[in-house]
Amino acid sequence: MTGRLAGRTAIVTGAGQGVGLGIALALAIEGANVVVAARRAETGEPAVKQIRERGGEATCIVTDVTSRDDMEACVAATVERYGALEIMVHNAFRGGTPHRIEDVGLDVWEENSGTAVWGSFYSAVLAFPHLRTAGANGRLILLTSPAGVEGSVNIPLYSAVKAAQRAMTKSLSKEWGPNGITVNAIAPVAETPALAGAFAQNPVLKERVEARASLRRIGDPEHDIGGVAVFLASDDGGYVTGQTIVCDGGSFMGL
Amino acid sequence: MSDALKGRIAVVTGADQPIAQGLGRALGSEGATVVEVEGAWNSREAADTVFADVRDRFGPVDIVLHAAVPAIAFEPMDLVDVDDERFEAIWERMLRTTIFLLQAAYPQMQGRGGRVLFVTPTMSMSGAAGLAPYTAAVEAQRVLIKATARQWGPEGITLNSLAPAPEHLPIGMSSTEVSLAPSALGGPGDPELDLGPIAVFLASDAGHFVTGATISADGGVWMAP
Repeated sequence: MTGRLAGRTAIVTGAGQGVGLGIALALAIEGANVVVAARRAETGEPAVKQIRERGGEATCIVTDVTSRDDMEACVAATVERYGALEIMVHNAFRGGTPHRIEDVGLDVWEENSGTAVWGSFYSAVLAFPHLRTAGANGRLILLTSPAGVEGSVNIPLYSAVKAAQRAMTKSLSKEWGPNGITVNAIAPVAETPALAGAFAQNPVLKERVEARASLRRIGDPEHDIGGVAVFLASDDGGYVTGQTIVCDGGSFMGL
Repeated sequence: MSDALKGRIAVVTGADQPIAQGLGRALGSEGATVVEVEGAWNSREAADTVFADVRDRFGPVDIVLHAAVPAIAFEPMDLVDVDDERFEAIWERMLRTTIFLLQAAYPQMQGRGGRVLFVTPTMSMSGAAGLAPYTAAVEAQRVLIKATARQWGPEGITLNSLAPAPEHLPIGMSSTEVSLAPSALGGPGDPELDLGPIAVFLASDAGHFVTGATISADGGVWMAP
């Protein structure tokens, strides 16, 4: 397969649905071998089927991003199958339950912290030896959120862990830059099962989210968000590092 | 000495650090009763106990200044060399302490207003090699302040971040590492004399309309956004 990412291999966590699936599709269509690291085969395998039907190469590896052992096994199996790992995309997240900070329990915190921050930590450090080998092709991309910059009134802990990922992006870009590796974050607003769930609970929210966006629509995971990931993963994005690309149709303009 | 904070009860965490000591002295010089606590609780109950004890001894808390950081957070180490135990001791401990602090403070401020001020050094916004877990934790605190400010605004509680230069932390890092230009004001400033008045302003009645903000006060190095 030809394309801007031909011959490169990517792991995308949480690629069974939503933004992760959109990014996995976009990377595969540009020629990358894509490992769909999904917590459940029930979502991961259909994602692989969808990628293959579009002419891409993909494999599902069932992975819980909060488990170091799982992430280690995922990286090892990826390199065994495809020979290398150039692009690590950490997107998996769980824990967007609305809460008040004064009442919230540790169960909600543990989901947020585990998937977003521990997942970023494991994605980064376990991919690193292979990203270092990839040198100037090495990429770490973390999925954050506009809420990680401006704070969300409904989900404070989500805001906190998404902010943590942005700082990790900056610090790691400084640590890994001498190896040629770039580290960036994408803060999307896109049509996902998680957002659909929030809209179902709060029907006026969809209208407000759309109205706030300059482009008056909610992003498409593959075409609107996946393209940004392809840019960052490709040679074109090779001099961009330590950045958060807010990809939300022009909603939040605080940077 | 004046009395902008006369009669107010201020809890200050992290008073082992010069930055918290200086800010605490500034609050005290304006008439606040400053109660230094370690700020290293690891359960909601432990934080509740500390805050209940302050209320029993002095009255309900009006001002919380949170600067506590576990010493391990300042030991530089590349993230690839950080093990789970160290990551837990920095990231999890700092955030859990912060969440429990907010939860313990809330009942004493609910319905009567209050001021929360976090010390969040500029390096959470600039990033810092060797300090990924610490910068992640501080940035999480800084944005948690914003989200909480949105939730607690109707209660008259304001929450803000004060961002000092990295020279105030025991890491031997210069703020000029993040900028080609030298400090506009010639240095990181004195915690009490240069940064203290900002903490006093945010804690006083005069600061009542500022919430969810980050005030960078590093002498003019980090100027984004």
